[in-house]
Amino acid sequence: MEKYEKLEKVGEGTYGKVYKAKDKETGQLVALKKTRLEMDEEGVPPTALREVSLLQLLSQSLYVVRLLCVEHVHHHKSGKPLLYLVFEYLDTDLKKYIDSHRKGPNPRPLSSTLVQSFLFQLCKGVAHCHSHGVLHRDLKPQNLLLDQGKGVLKIADLGLGRAFTVPLKSYTHEIVTLWYRAPEVLLGSTHYSTAVDMWSVGCIFAEMVRRQALFPGDSEFQQLLHIFRLLGTPTEKQWPGVSSLRDWHVYPQWEPQNLTRAVPSLEPEGVDLLSKMLQYNPADRISAKAALDHPYFDSLDKSQY
Amino acid sequence: MEFDLENPLTHLHQLHSSDDASLFLIESDHMLSPTYLHTLHSSPSDFAVRRDTISLISQCCCNCNIDPHLSYLAVNYLDRFFSFQGVPQPKPWVLRLLAVSCVSLAAKMKQTEHNLFDFQGNEGFIFDPQTVHRMEVLILGALKWRMRSITPFSFIPFFISLFKLRDPPLLQALKARATEIIFIAQNGIELLEFKASVIAASALLSASHELFPIQYPCFRKAILNCSYINKEEEEEMLVRCLKAVEEIVINGYERGMEMEERSETAGNVLDHHFSSSESENTSGIMKRGDKDGKKRKVGYCNNQRVQMTQIQQC
Repeated sequence: MEKYEKLEKVGEGTYGKVYKAKDKETGQLVALKKTRLEMDEEGVPPTALREVSLLQLLSQSLYVVRLLCVEHVHHHKSGKPLLYLVFEYLDTDLKKYIDSHRKGPNPRPLSSTLVQSFLFQLCKGVAHCHSHGVLHRDLKPQNLLLDQGKGVLKIADLGLGRAFTVPLKSYTHEIVTLWYRAPEVLLGSTHYSTAVDMWSVGCIFAEMVRRQALFPGDSEFQQLLHIFRLLGTPTEKQWPGVSSLRDWHVYPQWEPQNLTRAVPSLEPEGVDLLSKMLQYNPADRISAKAALDHPYFDSLDKSQY
Repeated sequence: MEFDLENPLTHLHQLHSSDDASLFLIESDHMLSPTYLHTLHSSPSDFAVRRDTISLISQCCCNCNIDPHLSYLAVNYLDRFFSFQGVPQPKPWVLRLLAVSCVSLAAKMKQTEHNLFDFQGNEGFIFDPQTVHRMEVLILGALKWRMRSITPFSFIPFFISLFKLRDPPLLQALKARATEIIFIAQNGIELLEFKASVIAASALLSASHELFPIQYPCFRKAILNCSYINKEEEEEMLVRCLKAVEEIVINGYERGMEMEERSETAGNVLDHHFSSSESENTSGIMKRGDKDGKKRKVGYCNNQRVQMTQIQQC
């Protein structure tokens, strides 16, 4: 790791600390992610091997943060081997970007063309991951990094789901956000699919338009109630099997609200796409690939992506 | 999420046209360096190192009766390692350690239950796990953790789909023969310069020439018309590669027959195997020989540190 000069801690990723660092030789800025992955009697664990190599493949996409290299080092005190993932560095993320438009000296909505462009890139990236058989499972604005100069959005914190286990709490014991979690996950479904990511994409879409979270729950139960209050309490008719899910309880019965009320400034095509992303039944939820062809994007110049 | 050579990008087993495109885009990342190709052709000792290490890989895999795709993947790692790091000195223990480590990595990628001691069989050096693991890390570094190799197998489903064959047994036969050709060809160095897609297309054409000579012109046209091949440069590559494949197939038959004659008379195939006989290069499958032939049980390596630094230098 002598190759890099650590500049500052830029975050606590779900899987460990993230540092902004500089490649001493080239001056290139990078994000260093220390994984907690330790070697045991089988050497490099097979799951880590398969997933890091998958990350290598996925990061070929323009819409996924590029994994530049993997450094294998020994912990300076314990001598235990550790893996560092070295990613390209981007200066901001969608959460910070939305925050800067909500508060600060010059609060203003995100321009509708920018929302359209970011959502399109997000769907591109998600479609890329899904076509490689990879679910993200933790999409949120903090995980979407932005290159403001180029107007590029890239997905980060990807693909390590299995090797690093999806945590309920991050390693610093802060609660992992539930705001973007799909109802089937909240209800304890064990078979989840690519649709879980599309739910998150929908929540992120709405948040870009509203400049605040669509479903800001602070517990799994509260999270469900937030969702049910807007979209109505799900019924067996619209989502067959819902009442047999592990964590299903009897909930207050809410009627679905008009989605436009949650995103008043969004044009009708956008509301239609959002409603397709927020379908209760995972099988009915729009796929990333299909979303790219939705009329909402008709006015976007797709040739530049 | 087991790594499947035929399906390196996805485990969903669906063919997306966008996946085909990305396969063709990224295959060049998995090519070998021209320097390595040059050294294999110009230096007999480097050539021998490669050939002998491949033999050792086949031997490791024979010890456990493993899926031939695993051994293919291990040899792919080996070639890419040599390509990046240079071919090491022909020290038997170095080659053996490399062979065992490549097989171990391939087994991890393919999610094969394995035991390092099983790979190493009863012959020669036995390395302890720590030594193998350190070598694995060196290989991973050299390969930049790009362990999902794009191989000719990755392109077989795509090219086969161009043939529009409806009869499953015919499809199976074609695929099986092409697979066999790809396995055989890996031992030699004739195809190392070609892209994985070009090798896949050539193997399929060669197989179809053998199995369905009447449809061959039609298959050939289908491949040459496909948008990934139809550029002049690629077409020329394909023609050259196909020629090389056909030579390998013909030599393979002749050598195969020679092998059969010899194995009836020669008692020790293992000795034969290490005696730099050309015939072993293309026979694809390593026959296990008389175990008593060469037994050098060295036990654990006790000067690992020195050895590892030697490898790092090479």
